[in-house]
Amino acid sequence: MKNSLEQLKKEFEEMMKKVTDRAALEQLKNEFLGRKGKLKSLMADMGSLANEERKTIGQFANEIKETIETVYGKKEQEIDAADEGNREAREWIDISEPGQFPQEGHLHPVSQAIAEITEIFSRIGFASVRVPEVDFDYYAFESLNMPKDHPARDDWETFFVDAPETSKGKLVLTPHTSNSQVRTMETTAPPIRMINIGRCFRRQIDVSHTPMFHQFEGMMIDKGVAITHLRGVLDYFAQTYFGPKRRTRLRPHHFRFTEPSFEVDISCDVCGGDESGNCRLCKSGWLELGGAGMTHPNVIKAGGLDPAVYSGFAFGWGVERTLMMRSGIKIDDIRVLYKNDLRFVKQF
Amino acid sequence: MNILASYNWIKEYLETDLSPEEFARKTTDAGNSVEQMERVADRFDHMVVGFVKAVNAHPNADKLKIAQTDIGRETVDIVCGGENLAEGQRVVVGLPGAKVKWHGEGDLIELTKTKIRGVESHGMICAVSEIGFEKIPHQEKEIWDITHITDAKPGTSLVEALDLDDVIFDIEVTSNRPDCQSIIGQAREGGAVMAVECKIPKMQIPNSKQIPNSKFEIENKEPELCPKYSAVLMENVKVGPSPWWLQKRLLLSGHRPINNIVDITNYVLHEYGQPLHAFDADHLEDEKIVVRKAKKNEKIQALDGKTYILTPEMLVIADAKKAVAVAGVMGGETTSTTEKTTRVLIESATFDPVCVRRTARALNLYSDSQLLFEKGLSTQATEPALARAVELIKEMAGGSVTATSVFESKPYEPRVFAFESEKAKALMGIPMEEKEMKAILERLGFDVQKNGNVTVPYWRDHDVENSVDFVEEIARIYGYGNIPARLPEGTLSTLRQDERITWELRIKNILAGAGLTEAYSYAFVSEDQLKNDGLDIDHAVKLRNPLTSEQTYLRTSLIPSMLTTIAENQTRFSQADLFELAPVYQVKKNAIPDQPSRLVLAFYGKDGAMLFARAKGLVERLMRQTGMSTFEWTRLASADMNFHPGRTAQVHMSGTHCVGTVGQVSKETARAFGIDVDVVIGSFNVEAMREFFTNANVFTALPQFPVVKRDLAMIVSERTEFQAIAKSLKKMSTLLDSCEMFDVFRGGEIESGKKSIAIHLSFRSNEKTLEAAEVELELDRIRDVLKKDFGAMMRE
Repeated sequence: MKNSLEQLKKEFEEMMKKVTDRAALEQLKNEFLGRKGKLKSLMADMGSLANEERKTIGQFANEIKETIETVYGKKEQEIDAADEGNREAREWIDISEPGQFPQEGHLHPVSQAIAEITEIFSRIGFASVRVPEVDFDYYAFESLNMPKDHPARDDWETFFVDAPETSKGKLVLTPHTSNSQVRTMETTAPPIRMINIGRCFRRQIDVSHTPMFHQFEGMMIDKGVAITHLRGVLDYFAQTYFGPKRRTRLRPHHFRFTEPSFEVDISCDVCGGDESGNCRLCKSGWLELGGAGMTHPNVIKAGGLDPAVYSGFAFGWGVERTLMMRSGIKIDDIRVLYKNDLRFVKQF
Repeated sequence: MNILASYNWIKEYLETDLSPEEFARKTTDAGNSVEQMERVADRFDHMVVGFVKAVNAHPNADKLKIAQTDIGRETVDIVCGGENLAEGQRVVVGLPGAKVKWHGEGDLIELTKTKIRGVESHGMICAVSEIGFEKIPHQEKEIWDITHITDAKPGTSLVEALDLDDVIFDIEVTSNRPDCQSIIGQAREGGAVMAVECKIPKMQIPNSKQIPNSKFEIENKEPELCPKYSAVLMENVKVGPSPWWLQKRLLLSGHRPINNIVDITNYVLHEYGQPLHAFDADHLEDEKIVVRKAKKNEKIQALDGKTYILTPEMLVIADAKKAVAVAGVMGGETTSTTEKTTRVLIESATFDPVCVRRTARALNLYSDSQLLFEKGLSTQATEPALARAVELIKEMAGGSVTATSVFESKPYEPRVFAFESEKAKALMGIPMEEKEMKAILERLGFDVQKNGNVTVPYWRDHDVENSVDFVEEIARIYGYGNIPARLPEGTLSTLRQDERITWELRIKNILAGAGLTEAYSYAFVSEDQLKNDGLDIDHAVKLRNPLTSEQTYLRTSLIPSMLTTIAENQTRFSQADLFELAPVYQVKKNAIPDQPSRLVLAFYGKDGAMLFARAKGLVERLMRQTGMSTFEWTRLASADMNFHPGRTAQVHMSGTHCVGTVGQVSKETARAFGIDVDVVIGSFNVEAMREFFTNANVFTALPQFPVVKRDLAMIVSERTEFQAIAKSLKKMSTLLDSCEMFDVFRGGEIESGKKSIAIHLSFRSNEKTLEAAEVELELDRIRDVLKKDFGAMMRE
């Protein structure tokens, strides 16, 4: 019995030497250690042995089994190692073939910018509102301290609806998002921190103007709001949206609904604000972002608030412009934004 | 509006030794943005005065000559094609290294020594257009003869000979500050910023009483539209070219030199910011000026040579018989000054800005004067400018004033506002002494009185209209850069983000995440687009003043723009999945239009049935992800003409609310839009969906007992809808947990008019683990129902 076992072990070791692949290894293992394997059938004869002897033989059989398993384990490792060695040859793929995944969707770049701007301002408590895009003259002009004969109220700058005049004036396609100012003051008690992003319309079409575009309007009304606060919010936005190294500056400007009024510039990303005039992009170190100002007392009054108690600031910038300024995409003809040429949108 | 301002000219009024760069930075910070700066001398580098000693024929070219030119250190040969080239001329010689605009066209080119038709040329004799002076009157093939302009020695640099060492600032002037659209305005601003006093002489026109035979008559019929009209008559003037220094100033400022009288009006316009006009008094009928409205269809030939037909809203300057100028816009040709003129009437007036603007737009006629007038000028600006013109005319054209007339509709009252320093300080948000604030105002020409009131200088009487306006003056001179940035503190606003914005953004993200591409179309549509989609024009908002006929209406549906988008992209991409989420506009009587949000989905490609399935799958995903899981589909059998009659369905919420339609676009509609591919459109009413949007997910406890799965396949008639089968089975079997179709097959061994469908059935009990026998029993019942109620033939 013992001899037979020894014999079996030897036989296994001999055969194992010839094994080179995994299939043969498995086959060999089955042949010796399997349910109907040689070891099992040898052990089946054990029943005929005396107890004492059975115990010894049993122990011995286990040792043989372990040895065989050890040999098997070693061989397995050898084969694994060999497999690993030539895996590159067997399992090589062409990684330059196109990837496969459900098709890619695209948000229009204007949508992406709007989402981001909304998010940035919400973090400093500016809530996003929605107001009509076709509105009464009153909200678009009259309440914003714009006199009746202001050029913006002429037919050649602003779109008007072909409809009878109402008690709040003509119906206009809002040429800016500023109609949200008095509308929000009418419905919300101060303190107010508002952001309004919407469509605007102007009678202009050329490579840098589309008759429909988007603006984002911010407004804060509270007691003691000062220019310092406007600067704080502008810097916060510029640094969050454009990058931590960017700076803003204010230049005097003129808008009817703010006083003082500013043009907001942001330091150029390309030259870092070099004023020598050598930068290919900005020529002066600064890029024009848009308008801002301290809310005119007449506008606060129109909103039903007392300008002696409340002050505020407002800003209104083009979404398209802001978007292009960051990504550095130079769109020669801005009209491409609204042509829905999929070759364009799919780039975003 | 921009002004080209010469630094030398500014410095006539403002004493400063700031470098041009420093000046530009300071004045930019204070509001006069210098957009560009040009060192004029750079333009004329390597250019010298040459003296033409002899002109010889070119051996190889008839039209070219060889000019023996003294350029100081030597005499060189220069090949030249100038037709007016002559011996004894002083000319501009561009030496190698000089940059010129070849024949006045294209980019600047650097000159080198070169052979022209076999003859060496040591430079170039320049024409005005080649060195940036194309506004000097000239003939095309003439070189610039500077004999009468300078007597500088040959070889003198052109910059020195013609006094061109200057810097030109290109400054953006905001629309409320026409006073800055002038040299004096820029000097004043510079003075305020640098705290240096400007030397602006107080000038007055001769008093009419001092002129015994003053006989010119002015009648103002429109004192509202022309609140001020001043004029002087000058006689014995001699019209001729202006001296070089004046021409140079005009050239560098962007004006065209014409004759001394016209040049002086332009010079004063640029210096004072007050437009003037010179009439040839001999051509004014009856020695009379009438300010009146134009007659209907009255004609005038303007200085640009064109004839304009006027309307009664327009203001004109007329003589006894005819209009001689469109007031504030442009003078007439027949009364302009010529070389024969000896008597000139110089006008300096103030016109209503709105009237000037509307007249210019209506006539499509624009000028420097009109641009200034439409911004609003002070009535007090007319006389200093007129006096300056008189001074210059006397100096350069001789003559004397023989009549003066000043009309003023009412005595001038300067604007006065209270100044509250505390409020100003609060709005600026910085500590500043009242004394400092007042000093800044004084520097800007404001008169601060002891009682705290501030008188506005006349040149600011249009833009300063309130006490709050003083804050800007103080802050900008103090320097916005000196005001620190501080994030606002305090109580947060009660305002909340509009839910519509939140959800619409979420929907867009879901759709883009699912592989759709977003379209953004104009809100405008054409009449055709509306009609082609069968939409009612009466419900659409119509524009009174559209830009083009393509954009006459605001859209009432997003579908037409989407179909147009597909038509335009179908050849570039054979298939695509698109969406747009935007408002539509619906007419409402006596109110602003309703502006509800709509969502349009579009799937185009080859196979309409497959596109429908794609659309449906997407819609179901969108519904689930926005919390609208209890929707149902119903077939829309009587679909309108826009949709395929057999491939259209509606989505309902709670059995009743229809929130959207999904269907293949009908052939007819596709054809109207020029679409050749199959299109399935999903059109959703976001407003109707809104009440169902929710983030609150319902949690169902995880099942305790396992599911048993079985598949069934059957043949049913083509028109048997899966949804009916599923509903019926769910109703009859309490053990049936879910019923899903996983395959459908037509053709082959299946007879026509029938289809084979295969379904997954999942059985589960909440009380126990189901036994195989129980499931088999349930399956038998299900088979019976399928056979009996749906005429199904089971396939095993």
